[in-house]
Amino acid sequence: MIASDTTYRAIASVFDVPVLLHELLEQSARTHPTKTAVICGEERASYALLNTLANKFCNELRTRGIQPGNIIALIHENSLEFIAAYFGILKAGAIVAPLNTDSKPESLQAILTELQPRALIASAKQLAKTESFKETVFSPMLVIIGDFGDFPNNKNIPHTTIRRIVTDWTPVNDPKIDISPEAIASIIYTSGSSGRPKGVILTHNNIIANTRSICDCLKLSQNDVQMVVLPFYYVFGLSLLHTHIAIGGTLVLNNQFTFTGTVMQQMINEHVTGFSGVPSTYAYLLHRSPLREMREHLPDLRYCSQAGGHMANSLKLDLRSALPDHTDIVIMYGATEASARLTWLNPQNFLKKIDSIGKEIPDVVIKILDDKGIEVGPGEIGELVADGPNIMQGYFKDPNGTSHVLTDNGYRTGDLGYRDTDGFLFVTGRRDNQLKIGGNRVDPQEIEDIIMESGLMVEVAVIGVPDEILGVVPIALIVSKTRETAGEDLFVFCSARLPHYKVPRYFLPVAALPKNGNGKIDKSECMEMVMQLQKAHDAASQTRYSHV
Amino acid sequence: MLLRKLGTHMFDQIWHFIVSNFLFGDAGELKACTPLLESGIIDSTGFLEIIEFLESTFAITIQDHELLPQNLNTIENIVRFIEHKKGRE
Repeated sequence: MIASDTTYRAIASVFDVPVLLHELLEQSARTHPTKTAVICGEERASYALLNTLANKFCNELRTRGIQPGNIIALIHENSLEFIAAYFGILKAGAIVAPLNTDSKPESLQAILTELQPRALIASAKQLAKTESFKETVFSPMLVIIGDFGDFPNNKNIPHTTIRRIVTDWTPVNDPKIDISPEAIASIIYTSGSSGRPKGVILTHNNIIANTRSICDCLKLSQNDVQMVVLPFYYVFGLSLLHTHIAIGGTLVLNNQFTFTGTVMQQMINEHVTGFSGVPSTYAYLLHRSPLREMREHLPDLRYCSQAGGHMANSLKLDLRSALPDHTDIVIMYGATEASARLTWLNPQNFLKKIDSIGKEIPDVVIKILDDKGIEVGPGEIGELVADGPNIMQGYFKDPNGTSHVLTDNGYRTGDLGYRDTDGFLFVTGRRDNQLKIGGNRVDPQEIEDIIMESGLMVEVAVIGVPDEILGVVPIALIVSKTRETAGEDLFVFCSARLPHYKVPRYFLPVAALPKNGNGKIDKSECMEMVMQLQKAHDAASQTRYSHV
Repeated sequence: MLLRKLGTHMFDQIWHFIVSNFLFGDAGELKACTPLLESGIIDSTGFLEIIEFLESTFAITIQDHELLPQNLNTIENIVRFIEHKKGRE
């Protein structure tokens, strides 16, 4: 089921010397050049080829004036091109900012305005989203189109395409650029805390440390083949890339998870050993996929890992019964601010501690602190505060936000929970009521602000209610200015401004919102109100509330 | 063959469902061959809604192993898939 200790120690030796993130790729390219690193559709790239591609990207960037420390935005679907560009940027000593490919143009504009990247690498589809503002809100000195699309209309900005960069497959030497392990490697945006995504600054050291710890826990080896259905702009997805490149494993990229039949078949064909997802990934797999009927054909599947929010016990048990007996389930917990992961639940304890997020991964220390910053005892609830070499440097251009979460005790996760007498950690809720929708962190305030922007509301409260697929979905309690206001109008209004997962599933009209003593909206009472309304509605009809 | 089917009742029903539920009434550049997922018209949640709609509207059961792009990633593929299924049932 797991690699032997001898094998593992040999792999761990990879990390015995300080390395930069891209040196993981270079090392694997030297160690096993012909081994398949990436499978994407019909494409298969060996480590030697992948490293050559990254080197060509790096050389192109340097030739065009990119300097160490420059920020480069990377907006590209999971692909060989993404990986080559990602490592090429790092090799040039630049800072890579992988951005959400599901973002609407308005969200991208806000982030790119903040980042002011020196270059933009994007697929043609993503580049099209930036057309209306590319030259007004930021001025990249270079645009690289990461797939085979054409450069749209305006040619004032120097641009090129992958096809021009990679004209042949002649190996190119690894560039020799003096980069400190303490240098910033990437800025990864959270999915939207405090109403707006925050750019998390991570150094090479941060990511390397976390990569090492994850490889350790999962006992990853070069024999591992990881199915990747999570996007690389999401830190969980990115950690799959880092860990498997580090150990010389194989990444199978499948961007069509919705077609689960295809994913399952590919897992069988490619002898996949690892699968990773957020709770909604597994809910979907269990709800609509041939997993159960194909379980006998997955002899190689060593483990499934889950992170990105609490997964309901019923879902965990369903997954346990659906997977082959030899497949471990690894529950993990983390944050973008932690380079990816903070804890893991050893599969041996899966049933015994099914509610738990496990214990710290190597090098991480988590304390449960009360409001005064004093550590509480076993069973007592406090905030989870994490420390370790994987903790971020801060939020990009946000000193206030940074000082709020980075304290002398470490990184304040905002999650409330406790540690039991056996040392296992449990999360009971969010300190600030953020919602985790399908693995995305969403602040209800952002959705409330958008609804209020419509000008149709007196007040609004967005809360999260449990959902089988996404874990949580947002629901809006609305107090309308006029009786004529229809949920349909708000649905259209929000859909034009928010990603689908942030659009409230239901808009429930109420006469007023419950408030607490100081006049603030009482979210607990709101939740109670929603439950009552839902109960009444369910009794009256089987149809959805949505859009009504 | 496909062109003939584009005007059929089945095609219209599917088209209307997608336009009204995911495009807010504006078909825009939606075509019979537009990849619904890749183009961002629907996500995995929306996909489940389409499945539910197809099963209830056309009285079919879509098996999990039939959740394949060649069956369901465009409107024309969906029409072909359902006609094939109904022909078999």
